[in-house]
Amino acid sequence: PPGPRIAITAVTQPLPTQPQYTLVDQPLLRDGLRARSGGRIEVTLATHAERNLSGAEIIRLVRAGQAEIGAGTLTTLSGDVPILDGVDLAGLAPDIALARRIADAMTPVANRDLERFGVRIMAMYPFPAQVLFCRAPFASLADLRGRRIRTFGNSLVDFYTALGAQPVSIGFPEVYSALERGVVDCAITGSGSGAAARWPEVSTHISDLAVSWAVAAYVVNLAWYNRQEPAVRALLDETFREIADRQWALGAEATRDGIDCNIGNRAGCRIHSLAARPMTEVKASEADRAEMRRIFEQVVLPGFVRRCGARCGEIYNQVIAPISGVRFGG
Amino acid sequence: MIALVFLLGLLGVVLVAAASGAAALPIAEILMLIGVFVVFFGSGVYIAAVLGALAFLIGFLFSDRPWWNFAGQTLWGPSSNYVLVAVPLFLLMGEILLRAGLSERLYRALNVWLNRLPGGVLHTNIASCAVFSAISGSSVATAATMGSVALPYFQNTAYNPRWVLGSLAAGGALGNLIPPGITFIIYGLITETSVGALYIAALLPALLVTALFLLLILAHGLRHPMEKPPPLPLATRLRALTDLAPTLALILLVLGSIYAGWATPTEAAALGVTGAMAFAALEGRLTFRMLHTSAEAAARNTALLGLIIFGAYLLNYILTTINVPQALAGLIAGLPLPPWAIMLCIIALYFALGTFMEGFSMIITTVPVVFPVVVALGYDPIWFGVVITMMVEIAMISPPDGTVMYVLQGMRPKPGPITDVFLGVTPFLLAYLAAVLLLLVFPGIALWLPGVLA
Amino acid sequence: MILLRAAALLRRGAAGLAALMAWAAGWNYVLCALFVTADILGRNLLGVSSAATVEVTGYMLACGIAWALAHTLACRAHIRVDVLVNRLPLSLRAPLHLLALLLLAGFAAFIAWAGWMLWDESALFDAHDNSALRIPLVLPQGIWTVGLIAFAAMCGVLLLESLLALLVGEPRRLDALLGSRSLQDETEEALQAVAMAKDGRG
Ligand code: NA
Ligand code: NA
Repeated sequence: PPGPRIAITAVTQPLPTQPQYTLVDQPLLRDGLRARSGGRIEVTLATHAERNLSGAEIIRLVRAGQAEIGAGTLTTLSGDVPILDGVDLAGLAPDIALARRIADAMTPVANRDLERFGVRIMAMYPFPAQVLFCRAPFASLADLRGRRIRTFGNSLVDFYTALGAQPVSIGFPEVYSALERGVVDCAITGSGSGAAARWPEVSTHISDLAVSWAVAAYVVNLAWYNRQEPAVRALLDETFREIADRQWALGAEATRDGIDCNIGNRAGCRIHSLAARPMTEVKASEADRAEMRRIFEQVVLPGFVRRCGARCGEIYNQVIAPISGVRFGG
Repeated sequence: MIALVFLLGLLGVVLVAAASGAAALPIAEILMLIGVFVVFFGSGVYIAAVLGALAFLIGFLFSDRPWWNFAGQTLWGPSSNYVLVAVPLFLLMGEILLRAGLSERLYRALNVWLNRLPGGVLHTNIASCAVFSAISGSSVATAATMGSVALPYFQNTAYNPRWVLGSLAAGGALGNLIPPGITFIIYGLITETSVGALYIAALLPALLVTALFLLLILAHGLRHPMEKPPPLPLATRLRALTDLAPTLALILLVLGSIYAGWATPTEAAALGVTGAMAFAALEGRLTFRMLHTSAEAAARNTALLGLIIFGAYLLNYILTTINVPQALAGLIAGLPLPPWAIMLCIIALYFALGTFMEGFSMIITTVPVVFPVVVALGYDPIWFGVVITMMVEIAMISPPDGTVMYVLQGMRPKPGPITDVFLGVTPFLLAYLAAVLLLLVFPGIALWLPGVLA
Repeated sequence: MILLRAAALLRRGAAGLAALMAWAAGWNYVLCALFVTADILGRNLLGVSSAATVEVTGYMLACGIAWALAHTLACRAHIRVDVLVNRLPLSLRAPLHLLALLLLAGFAAFIAWAGWMLWDESALFDAHDNSALRIPLVLPQGIWTVGLIAFAAMCGVLLLESLLALLVGEPRRLDALLGSRSLQDETEEALQAVAMAKDGRG
């Protein structure tokens, strides 16, 4: 649509090297918007690291008008908006198709909470599956009893506590040396993020069980969005639909790719970098999946409702339970 | 002086860039900023207020966003950052150890072994600072602690006060380089580098710097021979070694806990404080009053650093909002020079900044910008972490502005001009710079040990 | 004159309060060290961890910094670039001291306002941290903001006394209030510490 130039600042992924940034944000959000608007929309992209942000303040950043568009993982943002944690509970979605259906169903619900604060979610998207990296062998979830595991976010703490493991709180920069020196026995992160942070150098076994997806969201400043002319808003909506499709496809692809890179499978390793010291993949058994579902139902879900309030339990039963098949309160 | 030269250099760069046709450069504004900067520093304002005022000026001149709406978050982020918790903890530990008398025992024990070398007790200054650095991660804490112990030893002696003060300042400047060190922890935080690997990489460079210092004192001692104290019987000297035991126990506790996997580098600082309290209790000196004055001193020194960090982060946020770091990094990376020449430029930049900036705020504000460039040039992040730490240490002993030097000047039993410290530290400063250049030519000095241990 | 004496009294009261706050900040670091030590021991020996050390120690640092700011100002320990100003004659030096303090007071007022706005936003969001303890952010941020406001207030009180002193023609008083700590101050403090070590040995 013709008209005056529109300058947008978008602060999206944590690091400039992440595929979510280089393979989606740069080609679609920055270059795509410029091309389709005939050069009218100019997006300045930046990452959390370049802006010296931790990721927990993204909603406030967009709300305060420091950027028009922001993105961050929901677990991190749930400190400000608790309902967001419900989209990505530990053990909720064992496969990515289910995770997407839950995320899409929750977006309008979450927006009812967010629009009070002047921001709106345009799209939710995943990171590679959050899997466990350990410095000693394990065969099943039961073997994790007694191990010190670096976690983040409340539902993961609940999950590993229920397994008899000991959640430890350590800042991300210190995880590499903590694994190296044995301050922790295991740590959880995205299969691809672990490859990027060179964790195969300091751990030996990697699980393929997707405990959660680090689901994240793009948010816009609502006042700014409403000020745009209808044609521009339509262009933004369409672009974010496309970005979401691309991100979910990337999430599925990067999950397997991350594991392949970590275990030294050169043929399957195309997105991340190949580990010099290959890890051993620990495939989850049916019993493990059943145990994850049991812990989710009996520990993680009640814990979420306790923190978030009874209203969150009702929303869960209305929106998520029909998809996940697990009801809160039986 | 050097600060002035640097500002003039900056001015030159701006003018050259303007002449070469970069029309977008707002020259008038930049000239105004430099002018404001010069006037502020001349009139003796608080450093934090200068940084804050610069942030305001730049924000209102160059940014069209309501950046002040986000200032609370900008200040809360760094001040609640758990990695920086190590700073007050190391300061507290130094205060407790000083008041518990451990620092004095360390000094005396080393002195009976070193005082007959050419250069005499000056060697003890370096050696005791080096040993103390293996417990303390702060250079100011090291200089203050060992300085208050050592300075009384030199009263009514023939030692040249310049060399006494210079060697103590130089010894203090080992505090961060010899593990543990706050600079490594901060660098690790900003760049997501392993702090453990940084500590190992720093061992040989630290030895190199210490050796250069001792050689310098040896040369000075040979040129200005002094009467040696009478030799002590070996038994006495061996017995003196027992005084080293508590220090060694603390080193074992702090560094050992990291390498044994019990604690992260940040947490180890807390173990150091508890260990220092336990040691004081064993000595029967852990009183309420002692702990109270130690805590008050630690709180005061942390607040002093904290206020500067407030100003530095505010300025940093505005600069990133208007994309200055990204542009600057691109500019340096795009220079038509070989990587080593660009690295030399970066080192020169840090040396210039360090003459008038506090080492601490210097890395917080610059490493996020410079690091991606360094990695893009193909330099190892671990190696660069060691180089940066050495530049921070140099900043603390480069006249005219350096906390380590001010602390020592304030503690002199017999007052004298601050130029004594400036002149005394200069040979050591040059030795430190020589070590950085050696590291540039032979990166293996830093990278060999981590490679062997990996 | 009466006004000046009242302002001096006010300043002394504020400095006393600031010292109390700084003591709290200092003991907070002692507690912080003990808390982290307990967490390390618990994790390695007993298999229990608070799973919130990162957050809680971060809050302790923030509040420790904020609560000691005013006392540090009263002790004239905040760093100034005073190489040049100390060489000027008193008649020039006194107004420059005032200018420096004025700038600092402006900065202090701004950070206190920023802290207040942050607290207000956290209250609006009813924000909690992501640690196992789920601490409401208004608690640490509130304590932090109190320290920042105290710092701004200390700046204001000092400003008032300095201004009055300059008006009634007592520039020397300004020097005593704001000038850099003399060699004597710092020497005394260091020697006191060493003396304490010697006392203990008896
Ligand atoms: Na050290
Ligand atoms: Na300096």
